[in-house]
Amino acid sequence: MMRPPSPSFFARAVMAVAMCCLGESRRDWAAAMRGEFAAAAEDGEALPFAIGCLGAAARELLTREEGRFTLTNYTLALGLMVPMAALQIGCALFGFPYLYPGQGGLAGALLEGAAHEPLIRGLYQAAVPALALLLLLLGLAHLRIAWAMLDRDWAQVRRTGSLMLAAMVTLIMFMGVFFIDSSQALLQAAVLAIELATLWMVMKRGSQIHPGAAAEHPG
Amino acid sequence: MARQRNPSKQMRILLDALSAERRQWRHGYELMKETGLSSGTLYPLLMRMTDQGLVESEWREPAQPGRPARHAYRLTATGFALAQQGPGDRAGVPFRASPA
Repeated sequence: MMRPPSPSFFARAVMAVAMCCLGESRRDWAAAMRGEFAAAAEDGEALPFAIGCLGAAARELLTREEGRFTLTNYTLALGLMVPMAALQIGCALFGFPYLYPGQGGLAGALLEGAAHEPLIRGLYQAAVPALALLLLLLGLAHLRIAWAMLDRDWAQVRRTGSLMLAAMVTLIMFMGVFFIDSSQALLQAAVLAIELATLWMVMKRGSQIHPGAAAEHPG
Repeated sequence: MARQRNPSKQMRILLDALSAERRQWRHGYELMKETGLSSGTLYPLLMRMTDQGLVESEWREPAQPGRPARHAYRLTATGFALAQQGPGDRAGVPFRASPA
């Protein structure tokens, strides 16, 4: 007896993505599509079937409020929070040039070669580990927030956002005091303001669409 | 709230296929083959028609062990009434607006 052809890895991967896109409110439909996928695979039609389901799921994602919110949430978490985390961690570990005055990196911040360098070098060197630690914490907090956003754990987003705010205010004070050029501190403040405002809007929308979400993740 | 609307061409094809055997439960893939609609067209239609109370669905045990359960569909009385009307009359059958 001939065995029915098994769907290719690619067809199964496309189908899995389609299932994920359908979301909670269409879970039954995702299961219905999976059931028919097996029937389509027997006819050797697994890939066209899976591609069609992916198209249907993408349209559902865009036409339903919950779907649009999920898309926005993923875009913000993966497109804003994760890159910001990488930037902050990169600054902490390698000292990206943008952060320091005169595009001179950490050496620029230390005002290397300037007339007053011998006077303040020791002070700056003492401050650098604390600055780097703050940046590292901010980077890790961005990753934590991204995770909590994907998990729709708004209580955790709120807590981590407050910690980020405290860390950023400290960082800005440090930068305002130590770096003569305060434009870098203002840039950090502007970025933080945009991030927090965006997070606030996402949390507000999330609590409107999923009123019970905060209760699901108490504390 | 009831809303009146003319069914699309694809919905009319599906209504005709489902009304041909009114009492019969039909599987999605079987409907795809019969109507020539792709899965990307059929499933959004079925979802919306179910939301509007035109189609009812139920789970069926798999024919062979190890296979997933399958969803089966058939028209409700409202769906059948809509299917029975000519293209000009179909706007007169009220059905539920699908949720946003």
